[in-house]
Amino acid sequence: MEPEPGPSRWAWDCPVARRRLEELYFPRRACPEETRSFWAFFERLRRFQSRRPEREAAWDDDDDDDEDRPPSRRLGLPRRYHPRHRVNLAVPKPEPSPSRPWVPREALQEFLDALLLYLDFEQKRSFAKLAKLQRERQALPIARARRQLLQAVAGNQVVVVAGDTGCGKSTQVPQFLLAAGYRRVACTQPRRIACVSLAKRVAFESLQQYGDQVGYQIRFESSRSPATSIVFLTEGLLLRQAQREPALPAYGVIIADEVHERHLHGDFLLGVLRRLLPARPDLKLVLMSATINIRLFSDYFGGAPVLQVPGRIFPISVIYEPIPKEEVAAAAGKPERLDPRPYLRVLQAIDHKYPPEERGDLLVFLSGVAEIGAVQEAAQVYATQTQRWIVLPLHSTLSVSEQDKVFDVPPPGVRKCILATNIAETSVTIDGVRFVLDSGKVKEMSYDPQGKLQRLQEFWISRASAEQRKGRAGRTGPGVCYRLYAESDYDAFPPYPVPEIQRVALDALVLQVKSMGLGDPRTFPFLEPPPSASLETAVRYLRDQGALDEAEELTPIGTLLAQLPVDVVVGKMLVLGALFGLAEPTLTVAAALSVQSPFLRLSNANPDCATARRPLESPHGDPLTLLNAFNEWVQVKSERGGSSRKWCRRRGLEEHRLYEAANLRRQFQELLRDHRLLEAAPSRPSDSYSRQSRHRERRELHRLWRHHTETQGRKRKVLRLQDGTAGSSGEEEEGAGAREHGERSVDIQDVKFKLRHDMDELQAVSGSVLSPSQLALLKLVLCRGLYPQLAVPDALNNSRKDSDQIFHTKSKQGVVLHPSCVFATSPELLHAKEGKERGGTKEDGLSRHHQLLAFVSLLETTKPYLVNCIRVPALQALLLFSRSLDTNADCTRLVADGWLELTLPDAAAALRFLAAALQLRASWEKLLDQQLDPGGDEPSSRDLSALKRGLLEFLGMEAPYRLRQLTGLEKQALYVGPQTVPAAPHLPGLFQGTELKPDEVKGGHRVTEFLTYNCLATDTDLYSECLRTFWTCPHCGLHMPFTPLERMCHESACQPTEAPPEEEAGSSSKTSALHRLYHCDICQQDFTLTPTDILRHKKQHQ
Amino acid sequence: MYLRGSLKVLTTTALGDLKMDSPKEPQPTGEFKCQLCGLTAPYMYYGQKPPNTRSVELLEDCYVMKDPFTPDKEKILILGSLCSLCGLSVCVGAECSLFYSKRFCLPCMNENLQAFPLEIQEDMDKRKPQQKSFPGKKMDTRT
Ligand SMILES: [Zn+2]
Ligand SMILES: [Zn+2]
Repeated sequence: MEPEPGPSRWAWDCPVARRRLEELYFPRRACPEETRSFWAFFERLRRFQSRRPEREAAWDDDDDDDEDRPPSRRLGLPRRYHPRHRVNLAVPKPEPSPSRPWVPREALQEFLDALLLYLDFEQKRSFAKLAKLQRERQALPIARARRQLLQAVAGNQVVVVAGDTGCGKSTQVPQFLLAAGYRRVACTQPRRIACVSLAKRVAFESLQQYGDQVGYQIRFESSRSPATSIVFLTEGLLLRQAQREPALPAYGVIIADEVHERHLHGDFLLGVLRRLLPARPDLKLVLMSATINIRLFSDYFGGAPVLQVPGRIFPISVIYEPIPKEEVAAAAGKPERLDPRPYLRVLQAIDHKYPPEERGDLLVFLSGVAEIGAVQEAAQVYATQTQRWIVLPLHSTLSVSEQDKVFDVPPPGVRKCILATNIAETSVTIDGVRFVLDSGKVKEMSYDPQGKLQRLQEFWISRASAEQRKGRAGRTGPGVCYRLYAESDYDAFPPYPVPEIQRVALDALVLQVKSMGLGDPRTFPFLEPPPSASLETAVRYLRDQGALDEAEELTPIGTLLAQLPVDVVVGKMLVLGALFGLAEPTLTVAAALSVQSPFLRLSNANPDCATARRPLESPHGDPLTLLNAFNEWVQVKSERGGSSRKWCRRRGLEEHRLYEAANLRRQFQELLRDHRLLEAAPSRPSDSYSRQSRHRERRELHRLWRHHTETQGRKRKVLRLQDGTAGSSGEEEEGAGAREHGERSVDIQDVKFKLRHDMDELQAVSGSVLSPSQLALLKLVLCRGLYPQLAVPDALNNSRKDSDQIFHTKSKQGVVLHPSCVFATSPELLHAKEGKERGGTKEDGLSRHHQLLAFVSLLETTKPYLVNCIRVPALQALLLFSRSLDTNADCTRLVADGWLELTLPDAAAALRFLAAALQLRASWEKLLDQQLDPGGDEPSSRDLSALKRGLLEFLGMEAPYRLRQLTGLEKQALYVGPQTVPAAPHLPGLFQGTELKPDEVKGGHRVTEFLTYNCLATDTDLYSECLRTFWTCPHCGLHMPFTPLERMCHESACQPTEAPPEEEAGSSSKTSALHRLYHCDICQQDFTLTPTDILRHKKQHQ
Repeated sequence: MYLRGSLKVLTTTALGDLKMDSPKEPQPTGEFKCQLCGLTAPYMYYGQKPPNTRSVELLEDCYVMKDPFTPDKEKILILGSLCSLCGLSVCVGAECSLFYSKRFCLPCMNENLQAFPLEIQEDMDKRKPQQKSFPGKKMDTRT
């Protein structure tokens, strides 16, 4: 091309020249993207025009052209053709201004023509998007059912919409209702992630015409505003709202989506709504379900009309490839490792049958993370050889950025091989999948109500799940589904998955039923009732935990627990922690235990991570390691801001879960404040300067946040072949981080975090170091919360290899530590330090330092694992927390909860322990009741510090003892039984004036609700009464023969005489508590005496 | 799957402190419907001078909405207008209408093809084979 005369003299490439024009025509454009994109267009246009024939390259109006034009007068068209006429836009003339920069006329014209074309191009691009969107919506099967749906909703209170994946019900039904004028719509989802993505999708598809009327609300986040007409929220959240306002007055329409998934919350929600409907005749309910078991839902709502919508799915051919017998047999030898060969064969088959140009990815359904690992390893080798696959795992314990990779696009000629758990069945939708490989297996939590044990077990899937998995291959075109089982296996599968309510612990459900005033959970009309054993276990458990009273009504602590969206155990910790002024660390621990562990599973290839983690590890146990990690993370955030991401990566921590923990922590904190268990946030003293700077800071954060929300959206990336390489997660993440970094250097999670939390407060709280006594009390609090989840180390652990340590719980023998547990790497922390100081030998089992593990959960996968353990001193923990404590006559032998035996050869020490425990338990209980009684007084700080002091002293007490599990036989012959008990206990007023009642089952006498004295069948009880020795009381000078027990009893009764004088004021009640009516058989008189006085009186007659 | 800036964010009712004011969206004034292909979309303005838009002028009376695909508040999206010959309301899609100093619906265009410059006639010829799918039955079934 020869240089054109005019415009080429104008240096288009010079930024100054460009800026002149920008100033004229993009005056308000702050956004550099816009200008950049225009100049890119401009350059493309110039290149394009330079290649075209001259006639069309001529853009100049003045150019004379000889060619004849068809007459166009009739339509009033321009005389001469010019592309400019094809644009219905014009660029307004810039405001005349004296400082207007000079631009040559030709250059200006060229620029203006280009700008016009650019604007037109933008219009065409947006319009094409719009048209595509509308076409797609129109093409959805549900679109044809629109009128029918609206009629049904108008004419019925409840409507069931049944349609399979791809019919569009989740996105379209809410829009139909909005367009028809319905407002105050709630749409529930089983999963949080769906709430966010559906709200976005609906806002997008409805072309913003409802603006901020479309919102979502999930546990920590909400985009709800007063203008919101439709909100997407989780089933659990709607239930919580119903707990506060049973009539749900905020809503006029409730859409319950995915009800076929039969989650616990979903099932319960339907029950709650069914009860509500008669009271709210104006409320509309739309149930949306896959075409599974629709009758059940329709019948449950009195024969509600069903609107069936066909799914839209491309044909999928099914290939059954059961694993050959000889391979099954080979695998049976080593059941822990999955044999990857059948999976590799499918990869090969695909390579063999389909040319690489035909795109389409493979989605493999496996039962669990270990299985994914096994296949990944083998497939990766194959992928490296063939260069035709990128192998990507997908399961919920992966970091978010690794999960996101499955949405990226493989390079041409390469397929993604996604190895997924069942989360890809419904939760995650990946486009572009053409092949599905179904193992037919799933691992699910199953629940054993007797043992209160949750197990992760492998099952065959249901036919419904198999169909769901298959359907994933036909979302974007015809597909193929390989099944690693026979058609006859398929026919034998159960029709539907087991609803969650049938297989999980129902504690939380029962609490909610109670707190919503729905009466007896046993008679609540559930969609399908849960097993009654589960309900009974839950009720009993809640009674044991003190959440329900004997009449099964909520106790104050139960009322509180019902409002905490956490496990009962964790809720109890919070309450107990608040009592001791340990609210802050307890909040953190409780929150960290309620989210998935932020500690990612480390691959062996990553020793640096393990080293970097070490300083966070607490020798006391995992919950305290979590506390350290959280605190350290907050410090990093407040000091170094955005670099916390890197800090986490280096330690193999999933930061996302720390954010969740922080959110949850704050929610707990507010709940505790609401219930006045925690003082309101201290108002910080602030001068106007710091106020201003804080204000500025927040404004900046808001700006960043707004900018982010306006430009958000992760773009798909093109994967590289090495993206699938297994085991290099550290490196991977650095890479991913760097890629992200390039896109936007602001860590938006950090911005969100700082907007949501009071950083100064959080930093102060997480920066304070716990004193040894605070730590000891915190451990007690955690242990009391966790009780009875205790495990005892096997007696032979000392002589076992580190990795072979074995533990036992009451219901489960031979459990092991989860590999993530600190005691798995440092088992010596658990060994009872043998008392050189007392010369004890290992053989006699005597030690002052036996320890137990309190654990958060028992998880059964290939082995039963203890998860999240802390170690506690055995004797003290059992004396303080056991629900049942049984003793022999001199209390040297104690059995806790019918399974652990404690033997203290020193009878005096045994009684000292027991007496102290009784006193501490009583005052702890009393203070807790005071704390939880909304009408009553706060517990006095003096009582509290006395209790804390007492507990710390108790923890400091030492005596050698043995600890062992009772054998099955011993358990059977544990008690003397009622018939062999001596007629009456020798000492009235035993154990500080409590009434002794003969125990009708165990024998012996009940001293308190938990303590039964002298009921153990042993030899010594026959003689114990005779074992008196002379003793002089140091307080009252009484000298007489005592059994150790009598002595103990006298000592404790004698104590009031040495009580500090200030207690005199309140002593009237105290004295009367100790005094009891005593009838002396010898002088035939009634006395009101303290036990000491009774002893003294009796002595007179001897 | 991934959407740009399509939500007005964020006020937190659950936690209470993330209050942000989102500017009010202009409310739609009616629904535009292309009488050829049936495309519908809400429009917020009809005419030649859409409010809040300074960087561009319209050369015909158009149905206009705020461009939903960009967060830029000033960007508009032209949905369609009336055919200058028959008055049918038609979308701006190339299969329904053409602008050449005025709006022409495709049927009117085809009737008067001879009146248009060669460049446009050539374009129409080039498009002929694709026109089979017209009208309204575009076979896009992919999601
Ligand atoms: Zn049209
Ligand atoms: Zn026309």
